[in-house]
Amino acid sequence: MRSGLHISENSSMKPRQRPRRLNLALHAALLPLAITALLAYVGSVLWSIRISLSSSKLLPRNDWVGLTQFERLFETDRWTASLQHLGVLAVVYLIGVLVLGTLMAVFIDQQVRGESWFRTIFLYPYAMSFVVTGLVWQWLFNPDLGLQNAMHQLGWTSFTFDWTVHPESVIYAVGLAMVWQGSGTTMAILLAALRGVDDELWKAARLDGVSKPRYYLSLVLPQLGPAYATAFMLLAVALVRTFDVVAVMTSGGPGDASEVPAKFIIDHLFGRNNIGLASAASVVMLITVFTVLAPLLYWRSKVQSRKEAGH
Amino acid sequence: MNAKTHLTQPLRRPRRAFFSPARMGIYAFLISVSAFFLLPLYVMVVTSLKTAPEVRQAMLFAWPANPQFGNWVEAWSSACIALQCKGIQGGFWNSVRLVIPATVLSVFLGALNGYALSFWRSKWGDILFGIMMLGAFVPFQVMIYPLVAWFRLGGFYNTYWSILLVHCIFGMPLLTLLFRNYYVAVPQELFKAARIDGGGFWRIFLQLMLPMATPMLIVATILQLTGIWNDYLFGLIFAGQDNYPMTVQLNNLVGTTFGERRYHIDMAATILTSLVPLAVYFFSGRWFVRGIAAGAVKG
Amino acid sequence: MHSKKWLAVALAGIGMAGAAHAQNAEVIHWWTSGGEAAAVKEFAAAYNKAGGKWVDNPIAGGGGAQARTVTINRTMGGDAPTAAQFNYGKQYEEAINEGLLSNLDDVAAKGNWDKLLPEKIKASIKIKGHYYAVPVNLHNENWVWFNKAVLTKAGVAKDPTTLDEMFAAMDKVKASGVLPLAFGGQGWQEGITFRSVLLATGGKDLYMKTFKDKDASGPQFRKAVESFKKLKDYVDAGSPGRDWNLATSMVIEGKAGFQFMGDWAKGEFVTANKTAGKEFGCFMAGGPKMPYAIGGDVFVFPKNDKPGAAAAQKKLAELMISPAMQVAFNNKKGSIPIRTDVDLSGVDVCAQAGVQAIKENRLLESDNELISPDAKGAFEDAVSKFWNSNQSVDDAVKAMASALKR
Repeated sequence: MRSGLHISENSSMKPRQRPRRLNLALHAALLPLAITALLAYVGSVLWSIRISLSSSKLLPRNDWVGLTQFERLFETDRWTASLQHLGVLAVVYLIGVLVLGTLMAVFIDQQVRGESWFRTIFLYPYAMSFVVTGLVWQWLFNPDLGLQNAMHQLGWTSFTFDWTVHPESVIYAVGLAMVWQGSGTTMAILLAALRGVDDELWKAARLDGVSKPRYYLSLVLPQLGPAYATAFMLLAVALVRTFDVVAVMTSGGPGDASEVPAKFIIDHLFGRNNIGLASAASVVMLITVFTVLAPLLYWRSKVQSRKEAGH
Repeated sequence: MNAKTHLTQPLRRPRRAFFSPARMGIYAFLISVSAFFLLPLYVMVVTSLKTAPEVRQAMLFAWPANPQFGNWVEAWSSACIALQCKGIQGGFWNSVRLVIPATVLSVFLGALNGYALSFWRSKWGDILFGIMMLGAFVPFQVMIYPLVAWFRLGGFYNTYWSILLVHCIFGMPLLTLLFRNYYVAVPQELFKAARIDGGGFWRIFLQLMLPMATPMLIVATILQLTGIWNDYLFGLIFAGQDNYPMTVQLNNLVGTTFGERRYHIDMAATILTSLVPLAVYFFSGRWFVRGIAAGAVKG
Repeated sequence: MHSKKWLAVALAGIGMAGAAHAQNAEVIHWWTSGGEAAAVKEFAAAYNKAGGKWVDNPIAGGGGAQARTVTINRTMGGDAPTAAQFNYGKQYEEAINEGLLSNLDDVAAKGNWDKLLPEKIKASIKIKGHYYAVPVNLHNENWVWFNKAVLTKAGVAKDPTTLDEMFAAMDKVKASGVLPLAFGGQGWQEGITFRSVLLATGGKDLYMKTFKDKDASGPQFRKAVESFKKLKDYVDAGSPGRDWNLATSMVIEGKAGFQFMGDWAKGEFVTANKTAGKEFGCFMAGGPKMPYAIGGDVFVFPKNDKPGAAAAQKKLAELMISPAMQVAFNNKKGSIPIRTDVDLSGVDVCAQAGVQAIKENRLLESDNELISPDAKGAFEDAVSKFWNSNQSVDDAVKAMASALKR
C-alpha cells in the first residue's frame, strides 16, 4: 500500500555514513542552489535592508537614517490600504483558485473528450500578458461599455457588474481577474499529481461501493498534500507579486481602493525615485511573509520528525 | 502485468454510457467554466479585428462590420514602433533563442535540486532551500540593483549570459519547490531499491527520477516557458539591445502613454505573442497521462 | 554603497569598446507611437545625414518611468547609452549631483544658449552654472478640449475661455442630455485636472505658493479644492481607471462635451481627422493670460567612456537644438519649439497660445521642477483620495499640505 505522505528523508543513511564520493556529487549538485540563494537572494535582502535604513532617493546613498523610512511608510495611507487589500486578495484569490483549480482538475481527470482543448482554455489566461488582459477586464467591468451594459441590452436590466467603479468592491474585481488568470496553472499541478494516482485505487474503491465524489474527497485529494503545498506556495508568491493586473486594470484606484504592496513598491522604485521607501516596504513585506510562513514550516518539520521517530 | 505496459499507453477504461447524467454534469461544468475563461479572449479577438473608428465606438461585444485580418499582419510585420515599422516580429528569434535554453536549464536545475533535497538528507540543503523560498517573496524589481552590481563585477552585464543567468535565478525557488514536493510523494522503497541496485547520485537521477517526473517536468516547462517568454523587464535591463526579446517590442507597442493608442493592434499583437505558450499547452497532452509514475512503482 | 564606487568599478572594469563606429549614438526614449515616433524620426534622419549613426532604443511604459529606470541602471552598470530622454524637472537632479551626466557647456556656449533660451527653461537645465540637458520641446498639461457640436446643440453661445464659463457651459450640456465632462480616473489625470483648476482659481501666485513655497494654507487653495470636487458632478460612473485617450474619444465622438488634458490630446483629434476650430475647440484652463507651466522633454548625456561617445553627444545636442530640427521635430510632435527665432507658421491655433506665452514671458516652472517626483506622487495620491472618497475638504487640504513637504 502506498503512503502518500511518505517522509522524504533517507532515514536509513545519515550524512556521515554516506561514502565520500556521493557526498561530493551531492554538494556539487547543490552548488547552483547555494550560489543563487546566497549571492542573489541573501545579497538582495541584505541590500534592501541596508537601503531601507538610508535616505536613498533615485540612487543608493551611504547614510543612516534609522527607522525614518519605516515611520513614513506607516504614515502613508496608500501603504496601509495596500496591506489591507493584500489580505482581502489572499482570501479571495487563494481560496478561489484552489477550489476552482481542484474542480477543473478533477473534472478533466474524468477522461473527457477534448481534454487538450479544455486544458488549453483554462491555461491560456496565463500565457497572455496581464498588461493587455487587465485592460480587457477593465472594459468588461465598465458599466456603460462592459458586461453590465450588454446584459441590460439583452433585457436583464437588474444585472450589475460594475465592481471597479466603486471603492468598496474594486478589490474583488481584481480578485476575479486574478482567479481567471491563475486557476489554470493550479489545475495543471493538481492534474499532474492526479495522474500519478494509481488506477487500481478507484477500482478497489468502486468494489467497496464508494461513490466517485467520496472517492475523490476522502481518498485522492488527501494524497495530493504535496501538490497542494506546491500550488499554495506558487499562489502565495504570485499574490505577493501582484502588480500588472492592478496597474493596468484599476491603476490602484479609485483613489487607493485597490492598491497592493508590490505596486506601491514599484511605483516608488521607478516613478517616484524613492528606493529608500520602496526598500522599507519590501522589508516589511518580507517580515510579514516570514511571520506567516515560519510557523507553517516549523509545524511541518515537527510533523515530519514525529513521523520519523514513529518509523 | 509489468511496468512496461503502463508506460506505453494510458489505461483504457471500458466505455461508459456517454449520456449519463453524471457525464452531462461534468461537461456542463467544464463548458460553463470555459465560457467564463473565454469571455476576455472573445473581446480581444473581436477588438483585434476592428478598425480604429470602430474601436473608438467602444462597443465591446459587437462583431466588427468588416473583420480586419490585416490588423494581425500589421501587428506582426509592419506596425510602427518608434523608428521601425516592422511590427513585433523583431524579437521573435531572440525570444526563442533565449527561452529554450533558459527553460531547459532552469527546469533541469529545479529537478536536480528537488531530487537532491528530498532523497539525500543534508542540513545545508534544507537551510539553503528555506532561504531561497523566503527570497522568492522579494519583489524582483528590488533585486535588480544588486544583480546589476554583481554582473558588473563578473564582467558579463548586458550580455546573453546575464539574461540566461537571471532567468535561472528567478526560476529556481519555485521550480525547486515543485520538484521537491513531487519527489516527496514518491515512495522511499523505489529509491532504496535503486541504491541497492548500485545506483549512484547521478545515475539514479538521470535514469530513474528524472524520467519518472515527466508530468511535473511538463508543468515546470509550462510555468517557466510562459514566465520567460512573457518577461520583459529583465530582458530590457539585462539582455542588451542585441538580445531584446519579443516582449520588448510588444510592450513598446502597447505601453505608450502619451502617443496614439491603437487598441486593435495591441490586441492582435498580444494574441500573436501568446501563441507560442498556447501551442505548448495544447500539445503537452501526451505527457499528462496517467500511469507512468504509478506503473513504475508496481514493476 | 556610493554610486561613485560603482562608476569607478565600471571604468576600471572591462571596457565595453567593441567595434565602436565613429559617432554611434544609442538613444533611449519613450516615443513609440504616432506623432511622437514621426518626430523622433526627424532627429534620427538628420543625425544619420550628418554622418553619425542613430541607434534607436525605444522603451515605452509608465510615462517614461521604465525608460528612465533602464537608463539609470545601465549607467550604474557601466553600459550607459549615449543619450537618454527625461522630462523637465527634478527627475535627473540626483544623477547630476552624483556626477553621472556629462555637461554641455561648450555646446551651450557655441549655440549661445544663455541668450537663446527662455529664462524658465534655462533654470531647468542649468544646474549650478552648468548645462546638463538639451531641451527639445514645450508641452503644457493645462488645456481643456471640447466638442463644438455638443456645445452648439446644448445652446452654448460662445466658446468658453475660462473655467467659470466652462462650468456654465457644462450645466447646459448636462441639461441637453450629454455627459458634460469626459474623465479618466487615474492618479495622474486627476492631478492634471486639479492643477488646472488651481491655475484657474489663483493663477501664477497660487501655483507658486503651492508648489514653490510648499504652502497649501490660505483660502485660495481651499477654494481650488472645492471647485475641483464640484467637477465630480459632471463625470460619469464609469470614469475610474479609464485611459486618457478613451476619454478623448468620448469627446471626439460627441459622447461628452469637455476634457481636461494636456496638449498631446490634439494628436487624437488629428488622427480622427478633426480640425481645431471646426469640430473641436481648445482653451487654456487658466484663461487666455494663464501662466504657461513648462512641460516637455529634454535629453541628457550620461558620462560615457566608449570611444567617440563624447563627440557623438555634442553632435546630438547641437542638432536637437538647431532651428531646422526644432521646427521639424515639433511640427510632427504637436508641441512647441523652445526657440522663438524659428518659423512658427506650422504651429496650429491651439499651440499658438504657447508661443504667445513664451513671447510674453509667461512661462512658469511646473510642479515637476519645484517638487521631487516623490512629493509629486504623494500629492497626487492625496488629490486622488479626495476625488474618490467622501473626505472632507479640511482633511484633504491637510493631506495635500503634508504631501508637499516630502
